[in-house]
Amino acid sequence: MSASVERGADLTTPLASRRLARLRRFDLVGLAVTLITLAAAVLWAFPLYWGLVTTFKPEYEIVRPGVQLWPEHFTLENYLHVLLQTKIGLWYVNSLITSGAVTIIVVMMSAGAGYAISQLDFPGRRFFWWMILASFMVPVSALIVNHFILMSQFRLINTLAGVVGPQLVYGPVTVIIYKQFFDSVPKDFREAAVMDGSSELQLLFRIYLPMNWGVTTALAIITFIGAWNQFLWPFLAISSEDKMNITVGITQVHDAFGVSYGRDLAVAMLAAMPVAVIYLIFQRRVTQAIMLSAGIKG
Amino acid sequence: MLRSKRSEYTTAAILMAPFVVIYGVLFVYPTVKMVQLSLTNAPLIGAGTWVGLDNYYRLASDRLFSVAVWNTVYFVILSVVPSTLVAMLVALGVNRLKGWTQSVVLAAFFLPYILPVSVVFRIWSWMFDKDFGIAQNAVQLFNNGQHLSIFRTIPLFMPAVAFVTVWWLLGFNVLLFIAGLRNISTEIYEAAGLDGASRWAQFTRITWPLVWPVTVLVFTINLILQLKIFDQVYLFANGGRVGATMVMVQYIYLAAFQVNKGGLAAAAAVVLFVLIVVLSVLQFQLLKARGAR
Amino acid sequence: MAAKNGEAAAPHVELRRVTKRYGPVTAISDLSLAVDKGSFTALLGPSGCGKSTLLRMIAGLEPITAGQCFIDNLDVTDVPPAQRRIAMVFQSYALYPHMTVRQNIAFSLSVAGQPRKVQNERAQEVARILQLEPYLDRRPAELSGGQRQRVAIGRALVRKPEVFLFDEPLSNLDAKLRVQMRLELAKLHADLGTTMIYVTHDQTEAMTLADKIVVLDKGVISQVGSPLELYNAPANKFVAAFIGSPSMNFFPVDIAAINGRTASVVLPGGRTVEIDIATGAGARSAELGVRPEHLTVVDPKDPAATFAGAVAIIEHLGNSTILYVETAVGQLIVEGEGDLDAKSGQTVGLRLNQSHARLFGATGATL
Repeated sequence: MSASVERGADLTTPLASRRLARLRRFDLVGLAVTLITLAAAVLWAFPLYWGLVTTFKPEYEIVRPGVQLWPEHFTLENYLHVLLQTKIGLWYVNSLITSGAVTIIVVMMSAGAGYAISQLDFPGRRFFWWMILASFMVPVSALIVNHFILMSQFRLINTLAGVVGPQLVYGPVTVIIYKQFFDSVPKDFREAAVMDGSSELQLLFRIYLPMNWGVTTALAIITFIGAWNQFLWPFLAISSEDKMNITVGITQVHDAFGVSYGRDLAVAMLAAMPVAVIYLIFQRRVTQAIMLSAGIKG
Repeated sequence: MLRSKRSEYTTAAILMAPFVVIYGVLFVYPTVKMVQLSLTNAPLIGAGTWVGLDNYYRLASDRLFSVAVWNTVYFVILSVVPSTLVAMLVALGVNRLKGWTQSVVLAAFFLPYILPVSVVFRIWSWMFDKDFGIAQNAVQLFNNGQHLSIFRTIPLFMPAVAFVTVWWLLGFNVLLFIAGLRNISTEIYEAAGLDGASRWAQFTRITWPLVWPVTVLVFTINLILQLKIFDQVYLFANGGRVGATMVMVQYIYLAAFQVNKGGLAAAAAVVLFVLIVVLSVLQFQLLKARGAR
Repeated sequence: MAAKNGEAAAPHVELRRVTKRYGPVTAISDLSLAVDKGSFTALLGPSGCGKSTLLRMIAGLEPITAGQCFIDNLDVTDVPPAQRRIAMVFQSYALYPHMTVRQNIAFSLSVAGQPRKVQNERAQEVARILQLEPYLDRRPAELSGGQRQRVAIGRALVRKPEVFLFDEPLSNLDAKLRVQMRLELAKLHADLGTTMIYVTHDQTEAMTLADKIVVLDKGVISQVGSPLELYNAPANKFVAAFIGSPSMNFFPVDIAAINGRTASVVLPGGRTVEIDIATGAGARSAELGVRPEHLTVVDPKDPAATFAGAVAIIEHLGNSTILYVETAVGQLIVEGEGDLDAKSGQTVGLRLNQSHARLFGATGATL
């Protein structure tokens, strides 16, 4: 078309005015889409907001008919009650310990195995790699019965170590991700370091890991969040309130309060807070980790 | 490259050891034992005697098990299909935003995914609470002005739990779709625009075909994920007629920890196990065949 | 370095009858190469000729399928790279992006467990030699191409190696920078006197930097010699064509007669010229090679003109002029003075300087 001739030309020709009209329509559709998206986002965030706002209302206000989007009487009594009258402090500590342990062990184990498979040549290398890929397709939650039996054989039921154990194999994806990242380090670096006299372990700790530090952070964060949020296994493995992690704890003891919506929600909010904060701070890393692990699933 | 074979093997052994030990003890061994257990009539803890495929025959004739299987499938359909579609639409919308707005909107959709299931449970049982839940305002419109306990109304249970699950996990899918959309270079759209393609045409001829592999990926990931559903179904069903809304992992849990039939539970676990492995392999082949990453 | 009193100095680096196979493919077969101590030896050739492979075999990064490698008369064929007392500068520099310049340079010392003080001292020393002192605390990403290259050299320098290996180090730099770095490398060699082996596909680099050039063609040594030797007395057509820019002109000719060390060559068009040869028994046809600067532009009607043709393209370089002339024997490239006056389409005559022409036989070897 003679588009270039008409650009910047007289705006009164029929063609130009049609084009202007189209432009206007264009923006309308785009604008509508954007508005719908924003509205959807507000709707999506509403339940969270609603739950949060309820925790700051006194109980009589919560059970009053009508919808109050903002507390008439802002109060912290729900939180105070929960913090002082339940074992939430203990649960936090338990969650911290088990999630931390899972994260550290998984990251170390995966980095080591990922490096070995990526860079070293040893008998059985292909076999192990195949096994990892295969285990990726296997549902670990189907193993709960035998995990329970195994942990009880080790007398680890109702202990924090028992909670940590089976969770260590929930994510073979970490090994796969490490291996892929280590594979992508250009050979030149390895050769240069080898010529400088570096040993394999020095290569791992001084070159490969530092060059992929972002991956380690991303995987650590996502493993931590996953471990923090675990319900099924900790639920099965722990029976005493003292040793519960927070995700399980908040569901198991609400009966003690009677029906108190404010307190139930307050304890839930407290459970959610750490992981929500981690996400909001490390948004980029979490996003990256998710995309990595899904990329592998393809 | 010249290097001493012996030191290489030693280093490899050191680096692989934790992985091999952990996976051997906590993955390979339990898997083998699970199959073994399913062929006995053992209780949860303790020994039993060999019964061959007896447990599997029992499963086949157990009404509760078929209910569990059916419920699981039903749930998967209810949650995976809407989840994939809605996520794609949301991703299309979010992808058009830029900078700060995009971050905030994305966070709104993604934040639920970060929450533990018990927190999601609390929020939504409050939302739907029979007496004071805010959702009852809408329920009243459909129910002759009466409140309704959503999670105690059997036909509504699964759809409601599926709805909550979609709310919970959408962010994950949205993220994957956005990654897929970002892979489509803007130049293609510019070229199409210059060729006079309308917005709709651009969507159907460019976006849809190019985002199809991601759609398949998201669909299958969710499919496999949701077959293992337990947490939210258990939590929402607690205190009600658990039998009617049972899902497969719940059946395993029931058989093992409440009825104390270890062998039977293991058999159910094996069935679930095989089902998921088969689907995973299919997914792998499907994606490979399409030439996706 | 010169031999003393006719006694041949032992080569510093030597490859003896090495073969390199990758599975069924043989890249290099039975090749022998000697590098003198303190020399700057270039391995020159087109892509795929095996020059990098040879360098990496000397470095120990590639295992040698058959044959041996000697450094300073010691058999290092099975010795790991770190113990060969050599250092290498990679084409991509391979600077560790997460370390500062100082840490990059001192890396080999750090790996060896040298105390921090020693590491810093040596790094400082090397940085001074290469004028990198202001950049010691920067990361590679913050440096320019030339600076990065110097860091790569510094990393090699700090190891005080006996042999420096360079794998096409200048190919990632822009033209002007390349010239500058060439000078710096030449200066470095002059200052240190260490043996340097330098791989490149750029004949200008080889010609300007090396004492000795090894020209490689598909895994085989075509010729070894000093730059001028290769330029003036190429052993075969490959070397003659590869060295010199603009490249030599070639066209087929018939040999009328051979009288001792002179051949009577019939040019297309009928003229006969006398060309000096070394051998040539029985040759009836050959190719004649003549460098652009050995063709002179004359009036087309001048009886001394060997060829005539129309000028297709003129390139004015200022200090010289390149003409592409279409003649009966094909396109000839002619190099003349900077102030040469010619126009596109103009018919010119070219006079051949036959004392500088060479004959190449059917196999490519110089006659």
